[in-house]
Amino acid sequence: CKKSFVDVTPQGQFLSDFYYANQDQAYSALIAVYDPLRKNAGGFENMLALMNSGSDDHYTGGGGATDGTQLQAFSNYTMTSNLMASSYWNDPYQGIFRANVLLKKLPGVPMDDNLKARFGAESKALRAFYYFNLVRMFKNVPLLLEPLNTSNMYQVEQAKPEDVYAQIEKDLTDAIGVLPTTVASSTESGRFTKGAAKALLGKVYLYEKKNAQAAQQLADVNGPTPGATSSYGYKLLANFSDLWVVTNKFNSESILEETHSAAGNSDWGFWGSGRDEGNTVNVMVGPRSYERIDASAPDLPSGWSFMVFTQDFFNFIKNDPRKDATLLDLNVLQTAGKIKYIAGYMNTGYFLNKFLPRKPDVSKGGGASELNYRQNTYIIRLADTYLMEAEALGGTGARAQALLDAVRARVGLTSVPVSMAAIKNERRAELAGEGHRWFDLVRWGDAPAVLGSRGFVAGKHEVFPIPFRELQGTKLQQNKDYN
Amino acid sequence: QDIVVTGKVSGKTGEPLIGATVSVKGTNEAATTDHSGNFTIHVPNRKALLVISYVGMANKELSIPENGTLSVQLDEVGAVGLDEVVVIGYGTQTKKVVTGAISSVKAKDLENVPSNRIEQTLQGRVAGVTIAQNNGQPGSASTIRVRGMTTFGEGGNNPLWVVDNVVVDQGGIGYLNQSDIESIEVLKDAASAAIYGTRAATGVILVTTKKGKSGKLSVNYNGFYGISRANKKLDLLNATQYATIINEKSVNGGGANVFADPAALGAGTDWQDAIFNDKASRFSHEMSLSGGNERSTFYLSFGYQDQEGIVAGPISNYTRKNLRINSTHKFLDIFTFGENVGYSHQKSVGLGNTNSEFGGPLSSAINLDPITPLVITDPAIANANPYSNNPVIKDPNGNPYGISSLVGQEMSNPAAYIQTKLGQYGWSDDFVGSTYLEAALGKHIKLRSSLGGKLSYWGGQGFTPYYYLSATVKTSQNNFNKSNNNSLNWNVENTLTYTNSIDKHNFTVLLGQGSYVENIGGGSSVTLFNLPITSYKDASFNFDIPQANRNSTSSDLTQHKLSSLFTRVNYNYDEKYLFTGILRRDGSSRFGLNHKYGVFPSFSLGWNVSNEAFWPGNQVVDRLKLRGGYGVVGNDAIRDFGYLSVVSGGFNYTLGNADNITTGYAPQSLDNPDLRWEETSQTNIGLEAQLIKSLTLNVDYFIKKTSGILRPVTIPGYVGVSTSPVANIADMENRGIDVELGYHKSFGDFNLGVNANFSYLKNKVTYVASDADFITGDASFQTMGAITRTQKGQSYNSFFGFQTAGIFQNQAEIDAYKNKNGDLMQPKAKPGDFKWVDINGDGKITNDNLDKTFLGSSIPKYTYGFTVNGSYKDFDLMVFVQGTAGSKIFQGLRRLDIGNANYQTKVLGRWTGEGSTNDYPRLTTKDDNGNFTNMSNFYLESGSYARVKLVQLGYTLPSKLVNRIKASRLRFYLTSENLFTITKYTGYDPEIGGAVLGVDRGVYPQARSFIGGVQLQF
Repeated sequence: CKKSFVDVTPQGQFLSDFYYANQDQAYSALIAVYDPLRKNAGGFENMLALMNSGSDDHYTGGGGATDGTQLQAFSNYTMTSNLMASSYWNDPYQGIFRANVLLKKLPGVPMDDNLKARFGAESKALRAFYYFNLVRMFKNVPLLLEPLNTSNMYQVEQAKPEDVYAQIEKDLTDAIGVLPTTVASSTESGRFTKGAAKALLGKVYLYEKKNAQAAQQLADVNGPTPGATSSYGYKLLANFSDLWVVTNKFNSESILEETHSAAGNSDWGFWGSGRDEGNTVNVMVGPRSYERIDASAPDLPSGWSFMVFTQDFFNFIKNDPRKDATLLDLNVLQTAGKIKYIAGYMNTGYFLNKFLPRKPDVSKGGGASELNYRQNTYIIRLADTYLMEAEALGGTGARAQALLDAVRARVGLTSVPVSMAAIKNERRAELAGEGHRWFDLVRWGDAPAVLGSRGFVAGKHEVFPIPFRELQGTKLQQNKDYN
Repeated sequence: QDIVVTGKVSGKTGEPLIGATVSVKGTNEAATTDHSGNFTIHVPNRKALLVISYVGMANKELSIPENGTLSVQLDEVGAVGLDEVVVIGYGTQTKKVVTGAISSVKAKDLENVPSNRIEQTLQGRVAGVTIAQNNGQPGSASTIRVRGMTTFGEGGNNPLWVVDNVVVDQGGIGYLNQSDIESIEVLKDAASAAIYGTRAATGVILVTTKKGKSGKLSVNYNGFYGISRANKKLDLLNATQYATIINEKSVNGGGANVFADPAALGAGTDWQDAIFNDKASRFSHEMSLSGGNERSTFYLSFGYQDQEGIVAGPISNYTRKNLRINSTHKFLDIFTFGENVGYSHQKSVGLGNTNSEFGGPLSSAINLDPITPLVITDPAIANANPYSNNPVIKDPNGNPYGISSLVGQEMSNPAAYIQTKLGQYGWSDDFVGSTYLEAALGKHIKLRSSLGGKLSYWGGQGFTPYYYLSATVKTSQNNFNKSNNNSLNWNVENTLTYTNSIDKHNFTVLLGQGSYVENIGGGSSVTLFNLPITSYKDASFNFDIPQANRNSTSSDLTQHKLSSLFTRVNYNYDEKYLFTGILRRDGSSRFGLNHKYGVFPSFSLGWNVSNEAFWPGNQVVDRLKLRGGYGVVGNDAIRDFGYLSVVSGGFNYTLGNADNITTGYAPQSLDNPDLRWEETSQTNIGLEAQLIKSLTLNVDYFIKKTSGILRPVTIPGYVGVSTSPVANIADMENRGIDVELGYHKSFGDFNLGVNANFSYLKNKVTYVASDADFITGDASFQTMGAITRTQKGQSYNSFFGFQTAGIFQNQAEIDAYKNKNGDLMQPKAKPGDFKWVDINGDGKITNDNLDKTFLGSSIPKYTYGFTVNGSYKDFDLMVFVQGTAGSKIFQGLRRLDIGNANYQTKVLGRWTGEGSTNDYPRLTTKDDNGNFTNMSNFYLESGSYARVKLVQLGYTLPSKLVNRIKASRLRFYLTSENLFTITKYTGYDPEIGGAVLGVDRGVYPQARSFIGGVQLQF
């Protein structure tokens, strides 16, 4: 009697022993595995903000030199293990932990077998994605395929990068065999498909320099005829600028898309947590204290002036047909007296138009309107896989030429002879501001030359420092030259 | 069966003695006289002797009168204090047989002190109890530590408050009205606190409210009115000084002058003037009635308090109304039924950030540039960006409040900020009460059942307009929020007491059982957005707002349950040899299956040496008692289900092209079924003495050890859980000395009383299970990161940073600061920069933790207080001084990441050239040396202070005059609260509470008040 008196059962939550009891609960657990995918553009510490900051196309910007210290430190290559925002390490591992728990529990869940297999495949594809981000950012990471417990959590050691890559390949290969080709667009879009897993696997092979395998996977995604609809239903959008229309979610060019919603009524108190469903990049890239004076100027909500383009990038893109969709030149408007705004840190006046919100995009619901933008972002889109396949093919041959031509033709550009240099240029112009540039430069080995003036040191800055906490009392070793 | 004796105790001139003790000799039975000097006591038999005692008066022993009523006059000087009744939890004892370290504060010490909260009244009055008001906002709570830091957790260090047998959390103590309090006892050592087992590790504060006394109806009124203002304002730069400093800083950083002609800027805006209220009013009315007959007594009171804040008056004030009904009834000779019920309604309006560097009126007033005008009167500016195109706030004349273009981020014009917060308030209704039935079964056995409860309702409401205070401080929509919460705590306790005396063996045995449930309830909150109004005056929930613009949340509390069995034996032989033993077993819902129950034993011994026949009857040491004890107590102030990994929602993701959010569920943390009790053991050795008739002395030495401290641990991120699990991770020790002194003597018409207390405390962490032998501290500051660290061998949360070794006066000194390889230690340094000590001796200064060291603790080593009471004929004077010494304060008033933030005038003593100063570095926009951005001893100041907390002059009208209006007493008084403070500290106020003491981010300072009051008694 006494014992029962002091026993209190959790309310509104479940004891882990009793969860994973049916299909609905397995599905909720799967959603939690998807949750960290939102890191691409969700929360202040998002992937786009970090990866753009370190590339030659952008400055971190913001309000001042200490606004977003970890971003600034990556931008000028003064990153240390203390400055490395730990969420870039922790969040993928949270996804991995949840995938590991679900994969362990799934066999015992009484539910439809096909769905069970699909949930397992999605968990593996997501785990592969999280490990891919970890290994290409931090290189030397622990490879965990089972949830840890309090007794063994300090015994973990870092795996060899090739072992991590091998696991990623295995997870994706397993997943590809099970994942559906298409999903119900109204309720399921955003979930992993066979095409998404193949595109990711192709990209992984490319980073491993397994070019033949990369080209093979990417060819399946891209289809036999570049520019035509592929067997998975992918096709380039006719208008480049349509890619950035907020309502144009899950279009035919989208392969793996990260999702956002205004309905989360996100607020500062849980900004960046699992409950925050808004896109933060939108407010980050906006000009500070923006004021429209002339009706011909765009009607922008104010933002925080992050990720402004460099003058060098402007010079590169200024004659490209993608310029206007990519970049908003506020210098012209300001000089013409059509607008006013306050210059942020290292302001160039060139704002990242792909993610610049417009006044009608501002949420009218609850929470902080700055945190409730709903634009999705592409993790992988077709133009990217076209150019990756061309790169995997070594930048030569008819197929590579056709892939490159298709990307250029869509924006009205004429063919140029295919070469690695042409592909590099095309990627820079096509994918500007989408978080790929820094990884591209490192993969090509061009980073020391391009980023040297920023402070990039070859042999050190290709990987990030492991966050300080991870080294406390653990068996983990810091990455080279960061001690 | 019992005989009831009533009576009145008065002094030499017939004045009633309030708080005199009447006890039955040789037993634990005792009573205290009320406001009129009246008492009621149960006497076991006709042969018993009554002992009447009062501070500063000689004891009297009387036999039981035939008619059961007594009138006693005491003569001055005699036994002091030792016969006072002390509440010990589930019973009382006379002080002379108490074996634990218990400090007691009686009604007579409190009743003249104007105060809004009981913690402030207790401050400086009890040795071993450190109290720091969290901030000066009216109605704000205090941080209380009994014998130092017991544990690491945030709420874990707060003592257990027990009001008339009901456990009341500290946040809820604000409902108490000071005049209703009969006594406050602090159980400091484990030997006395163990009777509250589970939750007693941090000390127990027992509050007993007043009971009615049989006899004449007594009516009391006490009221006061006062004016408050800030003790001190900061010396900040004026506009000319500011421009000069900013120019110098810019030029030193390689830039150009920012301001062409600083002198032309004049004095500029004094932002502090814009928010400080020098005429903040406060008043209080308290009224009580008490009386009864032999069967029933009652005490009834009503109080009303109102206090206006000294900062941002319109959004900083507090009112409280309270009501109390206490009564006891006797029936069928053996039963006593009683109840104590208090109700209060509190309404508080707060300015938000009371100790934060992130905006709000105080932080903005400190950091804003003095150049920006308070109000824009120039129409050309007012009609241009940003004033013309944004919902800026305007003053009553229609002019917009100035917006700084130099200082941004969270800082905003405080006068405008105040306008955006108008009409916002928080409220609470608390009902705290207990009822009991007591049965006296025969001479020796007493059975008591009690039911106690605390029912609370609280919430808040406020309209936030659509506003633009700066580019960063703004809203895009207005909103109106209302929240409602409720909680119920209840407990049932049954005790059986057996008291007997056989020959000279006196003993009391207590057996008890208790069941406790807390946090039954929940809350909800609704916010409407985009209301079609602009002023809080029009805000209403009746507006028809579309569903998309309604946000609501709701939650349930998690119950906390305890089940307990306890026993206590009090024994003494002829009042010479004393023993107390306590055993309590508690089960708590907060622990895992493997360690759900804890057992907490304690014992203590005492020896009244002066009762021995061999004790010489000298005139120096009249009485002497030695005592000592040891006990173990627990602490379960951790979060619920800390031992479990629960699967919870909130790991959501958006799927589908309709932006539908799906809730994801995942395990939050890792299981820890072995989570066990945190235990605090304490050894206490004490001495009580009465010297030269008039002087009492209490000295206690204690060693308090806490083991298995519970705390969420930051585990490696690769584990992948989103919430840190709780674990037993550290041990800590506090050693100290508490001294209490009393002196009472009359010199003709002049009476003098002095009460003084002094404590010494040393806190040390003795073990940390974390992998690095330290825990990153709980306090952090802006870009510095953590500024404290908890490490073995150091005080809990000690300040941790760089150590400066003066300032490089010239390049030669920089060049001379080399390591053994001949490399410069600080190659980036320039003359005027700090020289940092190479703590780890590796020949380089690195901005990680390797060159940081421990720089001091914010826990005061010494705490003291003393009260001097003097009276001459009808006049009385009281002076109360309180203070602490031996602590450090982190002076973090200035925002480091806002380059143009204003400075205190001490910046004028910065380094400007060789030989100018060795303390304050040069100013530059390129602080490569980290002079200002490094945590270092530069930011630490002594937190020692002595505060004249209270000075009161009173005049009591002669009885003859008073009797004409049928009153028994009429007294007028003038009081000054916080008259002045002696300190070297350069911030507003050295008294800074909080989870980590002594971190000043611009704390709301305490008020200095001047008060006039009247006390009337019928």
